[in-house]
Amino acid sequence: MKVFKEVFLNFKKSGFMNLISVGTIAITIIILGSYFIANLAVNHFLSRVENKIEIVVFLKDGFAAEKMKNTITELESLNEIEDVKFISKYDAYQEFVKDKEILTILQSFESNPLPDSIKIKLKEYTPKNIDKIINILKSKEGIEEIQYGGKEIENLLNILNVIKIIMIVIGIIFIISSLLVVSNIIKLTIYARRQDIYIFKMVGATNFFIKMPFILEGIIHGFFGGIIGWVILYVIINILLTEIKKETGLDFTGFYVFTPSFFSLKFLIETIIAGILLGFFGSLLSLGNIKEK
Amino acid sequence: MIKFNHVFKIYEKNIKALEDINFSISKGEFVFLTGPSGAGKTTILNLLYREDIPDMGSVFVNNEDISHISDRKLPFYRRNIGFVFQDFKLLFDRTVFDNIALPLVITKTEKKFIKNKVEEYINKTGLCGKEKLTPWHLSGGEKQKVAIARAFITNPSLILADEPTGNLDDESSWEIIKMFEEVNKEGTTILFATHNKELLQKMNKRVIRLNKGKVISDESI
Ligand SMILES: Nc1ncnc2c1ncn2[C@@H]1O[C@H](COP(=O)(O)OP(=O)(O)OP(=O)(O)O)[C@@H](O)[C@H]1O
Ligand SMILES: [Mg+2]
Repeated sequence: MKVFKEVFLNFKKSGFMNLISVGTIAITIIILGSYFIANLAVNHFLSRVENKIEIVVFLKDGFAAEKMKNTITELESLNEIEDVKFISKYDAYQEFVKDKEILTILQSFESNPLPDSIKIKLKEYTPKNIDKIINILKSKEGIEEIQYGGKEIENLLNILNVIKIIMIVIGIIFIISSLLVVSNIIKLTIYARRQDIYIFKMVGATNFFIKMPFILEGIIHGFFGGIIGWVILYVIINILLTEIKKETGLDFTGFYVFTPSFFSLKFLIETIIAGILLGFFGSLLSLGNIKEK
Repeated sequence: MIKFNHVFKIYEKNIKALEDINFSISKGEFVFLTGPSGAGKTTILNLLYREDIPDMGSVFVNNEDISHISDRKLPFYRRNIGFVFQDFKLLFDRTVFDNIALPLVITKTEKKFIKNKVEEYINKTGLCGKEKLTPWHLSGGEKQKVAIARAFITNPSLILADEPTGNLDDESSWEIIKMFEEVNKEGTTILFATHNKELLQKMNKRVIRLNKGKVISDESI
């Protein structure tokens, strides 16, 4: 409990500095939190786009579907493939006739004009994977046409990947810069107490004993910074959502990122842990060389 | 117990604080260190406390060259030494009680034991009634008494005292000297830096005289 006394004395000696430290952590949490939400939204969007992408293979009419079985099992065994589905011309017909307009068009044909087809879903839509599958398919017999969106899809996928990488880089920059700010502020509080630290060393205190209060201080700052950051983030998002609803009538509260569960106890605990980690590593960084007097 | 072997300490701008210092002190001795201002008394005590390292030569304590003590072990080395600093080195945001208790607090000593010990030394140094004051509210002599009580409280086997009576009136000086003699009788080695000629004469102990960084005499008066 002695350690808490030291923390309290630190607080008395550099109270304002403590507020700045807590404030910095809070701001960092707000930025990281917004980043987290944006990241979630982007990823959600990306996965929806990716889910829409599939490779469709139309088979030659009259080509025995039986003969396609080998190709399908071969495809299913590939690592890159999520799902392979054979759709017979009969199944396709049943699917299409659900639409009244198409039904009339189809009825103008004597027989079912639709071909057999195979729908392929990939685990990851990278140009490399797509190429590989296309090349395999091209070597097979009985294939009329392969549709996968071609160059446009590849470009879109490339753009999406760049966005993902940019988001990761921005996140890392945020974390590093806030660590630096927090550690420098704690350095200032250490500087304010350098004389005391020197005296502690002079009576034989170990480095651990001297560092402990500062680390605890960092953790306490992180705790409060995390809570404050969460509250502010909560208020900002809520105001934004109600304003958007008022102005445009769009209700985003149902959007899965903003569902009530997002601002749950779990997210609060996560922000507090993020704050504590920031404070902890920030103080560790600043204590690296406490040797000088 | 202590041995200085051809010790040199040179500060920047070629100030030779110590030049070829050689002397030994046995366990249980009471030795005075004297000489004019700037002679190098504080420098010698600092070298012994490993607050500084000689530029040449070695300082041995208990047959160990103390320059080789690692940073990790240094705190434990210092815990065996009580140092009354010339400038006291007190914590100004803490009470007299907390200042005196500090060397025990950092070793996680039991609270009750600390309380008894601190009270004992507050009585011995004549600081009764000042326990709750911070050093801001103390006179120079009172601050010195706090520094002395803090150096004694761990019962160290070596006490380094840098002008510990410099700010005290005659009467409290003798009270303090009695404390030194008492622990010396129990076996504590003492190295006592002072300007006070009267004290040197009355005490009749070994005196190492320094001048301009050199030992000019080492004898018992
Ligand atoms: N950190 C330092 N940097 C530069 N010079 C120093 C330093 N410490 C001491 N000195 C010099 O070393 C010499 C010896 O100083 P020291 O403090 O040992 O003297 P002293 O005998 O204790 O004097 P006093 O009786 O005034 O306390 C002095 O000339 C001083 O200026
Ligand atoms: Mg001195």
